[in-house]
Amino acid sequence: MDSWKTVATKYTPEIYFDANTNILGLKGESYPENITEFSSPLFSWLENYLGNLGKKNFTINIELIYFNSSSSKMLLDLFDLLEEEVNDNNKNIVVNWIYDAENDAAQEYGEEFQEDLEVLTFNLVRKTG
Amino acid sequence: MKNINNLFNLKEKCNKQGILITFYGFISQELLVEIGYTLKSRMQTENVPSTKITKIFAMFVEQTQNIVHYSAEKIFNTNGGLSNGIVVIGYQDGHYYVLCGNKIDKNSIEPLTQKLTFLHDMDKDELKSYYKEQRKKESLTKGAGLGFIELARKSSKPIDFNFQPIDEHFSFFSLKTYI
Repeated sequence: MDSWKTVATKYTPEIYFDANTNILGLKGESYPENITEFSSPLFSWLENYLGNLGKKNFTINIELIYFNSSSSKMLLDLFDLLEEEVNDNNKNIVVNWIYDAENDAAQEYGEEFQEDLEVLTFNLVRKTG
Repeated sequence: MKNINNLFNLKEKCNKQGILITFYGFISQELLVEIGYTLKSRMQTENVPSTKITKIFAMFVEQTQNIVHYSAEKIFNTNGGLSNGIVVIGYQDGHYYVLCGNKIDKNSIEPLTQKLTFLHDMDKDELKSYYKEQRKKESLTKGAGLGFIELARKSSKPIDFNFQPIDEHFSFFSLKTYI
């Protein structure tokens, strides 16, 4: 699997995958008009990737400053998918929810996702300075 | 000559209502983004705390995307479409507000009233669990239907809304949130 990167637009985040570290990252803001246009290619890639992951470690770093309500639904679908992979297939997956110390909203959203997850490792990572 | 005077009256009216930015006409996602940027930089220069700016921006996006998705006055072009509506962001009586409106089909009045009245009677904890419940239930569509709950959770006062009849088929739907 090769590394790749999709640049951020004014209303969609940068997405990158580093094949050396097995890290997928989402960084920026997410409020597209049509969320499935944005999420479909990502989910297709993910499903294929997870199918070939085996026992390797996979990390997802999510650093979103702002996202709208349909993006929030997309994130829930993402975590549900990952939770299933951990639960049913014993995959080694870690999610890092990265937020700025001053961004209360991002912190709260992270905490709310964390509350509902049972098996997926979901770290809240507070960035300072 | 008369029309020119009217424009100044409109400006005076806007000032009285503490309007920071307002837009009327056909709106697109691209225009939403630009208005959002301008709104943010205006508030930054006035030293509004960043958490508050994020909140106001979030309300603005959610409400304006409602117009984009649900306005009954739409024109379609090769890039998708344009939706007619009004967006107002202002500061009055010690708080910011986001007021948005668009034409809707009369058949939407009843379901909208039901949804918004239901949210109106909930406290913040109830809204939180309802939000989570609905987020699980709904499928990933253009709006996911979570917008109103999100707005009710963020608004510092219960959301205000009303419907004004236009003709036998259509009404004008207004929605106001407070920050």
